[in-house]
Amino acid sequence: MIDQEHLAGRGRRLLATGVDFVLVPALTLVLIMLTGVVEHAEDYRSLAWIWKVFGLAVTSYLILNGYLLWRRGQSIGKALMGIAIVSTATGEKAPFWKLVGIRALFFPLLYLIPPPLTVAPVLDQVLIFMKGRRCLHDYAAGTSVVNRA
Amino acid sequence: MRETRWWFAVLVCLVALAPIAVSAADCDRREPGLSTRYSDGWGITPDANRLQARTTIERSNAGTLQLAWAYGFGSKKPRTFPLVTEDTLFIADSGVGIVALDRETGCTRWVRKQGGELGTAILYARIDDRDALVYNDRNGGVYAIDALTGADIWHAAIVEQPIPMYSGTPTIQGQTVLVPISSLEIGLAANPLYGCCTTSGGMAAFDLQTGKELWFLPTIDKPPAPTEKHWLLVQEYGPSGAPVWGTPTVDVSRGVTYYGSGQNYSPPSTTTSDAIFAVDIASGEKRWVRQFTENDTYNIACDISRQHPNCPVQMGPDHDFGAPPVLVSRPGHPDVLVAGQKSGHVHGLDPETGEVRWSVRLGRGGALGGIHWGMAADANRAVVYVPVSDVAAHPVDGKPAPGLYALDVDTGETLWVHSREDRCPDRICSGGLSAAITATPEVVFAGSLDGYFSAYAADNGELLWTDDTWKDFDTVNGVPASGGAFDAHGPMVADDMVIVSSGYDSFGEKGGNVLLVYRLGGEGAK
Repeated sequence: MIDQEHLAGRGRRLLATGVDFVLVPALTLVLIMLTGVVEHAEDYRSLAWIWKVFGLAVTSYLILNGYLLWRRGQSIGKALMGIAIVSTATGEKAPFWKLVGIRALFFPLLYLIPPPLTVAPVLDQVLIFMKGRRCLHDYAAGTSVVNRA
Repeated sequence: MRETRWWFAVLVCLVALAPIAVSAADCDRREPGLSTRYSDGWGITPDANRLQARTTIERSNAGTLQLAWAYGFGSKKPRTFPLVTEDTLFIADSGVGIVALDRETGCTRWVRKQGGELGTAILYARIDDRDALVYNDRNGGVYAIDALTGADIWHAAIVEQPIPMYSGTPTIQGQTVLVPISSLEIGLAANPLYGCCTTSGGMAAFDLQTGKELWFLPTIDKPPAPTEKHWLLVQEYGPSGAPVWGTPTVDVSRGVTYYGSGQNYSPPSTTTSDAIFAVDIASGEKRWVRQFTENDTYNIACDISRQHPNCPVQMGPDHDFGAPPVLVSRPGHPDVLVAGQKSGHVHGLDPETGEVRWSVRLGRGGALGGIHWGMAADANRAVVYVPVSDVAAHPVDGKPAPGLYALDVDTGETLWVHSREDRCPDRICSGGLSAAITATPEVVFAGSLDGYFSAYAADNGELLWTDDTWKDFDTVNGVPASGGAFDAHGPMVADDMVIVSSGYDSFGEKGGNVLLVYRLGGEGAK
């Protein structure tokens, strides 16, 4: 288990999320522009365009954060705030596949949940105010966020 | 690892439980009666006069109308025009499906579940010796189902356009189903990364028995070509647009359908936008086309900003024809085709040639009318009833003149006006009449954007009765319901009943989700 004192502060975590929340969509937008996946009427014949945009969002996340996640368990936002993701069970750097396969997919998937549960992304973040300071995606991946010593 | 699985299970359950089923009180007898039907479609009659003669509601007893029961829709923007039979109302409940309700009590006979965005009148037809219903799903196409059980018969969609919108209700003429076609592009243009625009509106015809497409006539003949690239490096195209929003009107004696088109979505503009079409039903060939507003290019991007890359530089006024043309035929008089435009103009045309006999302007007009969803006419009185919205959308010049107008069908002369005041200074309180209206030989029914549903005397426009629907209602299906703006398809009249839906949460209007069924309460009640 991780000591309460080692857990990253809520303010830093929210700021880190804010930074990532700006950078990832910005790059996604550029990729959408370059690939033209939503540019033509034919692209909207089915809902496949949603999955294409989803794929580009995940790609953007990996381009921006993949190396840092692999080496240090950090996204750009977390690196700027001096915090990192670790396995809750061991306190060590979380496995890369969990960071990408669960955490990176979990967050955008929450936005695809239909009404009346469209509040899921908010719920995800609100859980940080509980004692363990773990968001829904932390529970999903078995991770915690700590101050990087 | 166990913890991880548990959280994924929670997520899967949340997604699975998201669609919440609506349960309703079921009738003892499920099978609807279909021997008497009170309309042929959206226009009540094929000529789109929206005149209901089969009613006991008169000038003298309209004041006794009382709410009999209410039904709660699943959507805050219900768009339905019911089919009424001797014992049943068939309605479209967007997000729920097609619903058959007992006409007396409102109990549910059956529900044909359908998750799409339904916005339609319900049409009756005979298909393979079966009683059938035909209707449209705005995004899905046209459907035929068994009227006794709700079972599928066929589903049809056009292949010529990539993203058609089936916004207007089809009309059935003989063995042909006429389907108006608009497109999703008007909204997609809001995305600055979308290369606006390539689609054309049009009219499609399907075989009633099989749903097979017979012909498709686009409103724009010329294929779209690349025009310019905007600053996000997105290639734009034109011409495009000229959607057909309204139900096609049928001239049985000439074998012709009449319909109006909307504005172009992107330049260059065409001579077929904001126009009235006359088309041979059998062949799909054009008889004539008459344009009323030139160089009208507009799409939703302009509502976001005039500087939006997809907003045409020369933005037009969005003065399309949303209301179906009304064909007025009287023995001993030349037929008149009356077309109401969002500009506030009403035009009287020769249905044979499209020649304009008269043209008058009743309001300042605007993106939401002027004349928006539909007029009514009474050939016996030689009068056309015109609802005027004049609600502000884009900045427009002139003084609004919302209200109900009665025009002489031969000259366009105003016979009477019932002007409407706003409920309050806010936009949501506009007293304009945007929804389609319905007339009887003695009464005209109209709902206003500020939630009042009213009956006016057909001979002089006197207000006979009104009901304020901005309140909550107890409903027969247990769905919490409240009233809002009256917009879209408007009221249906049958015998001693008036049926209308209240609520429309688009364009800054007040949402609501209630179907109201009124009946005569005093003398004349059934």
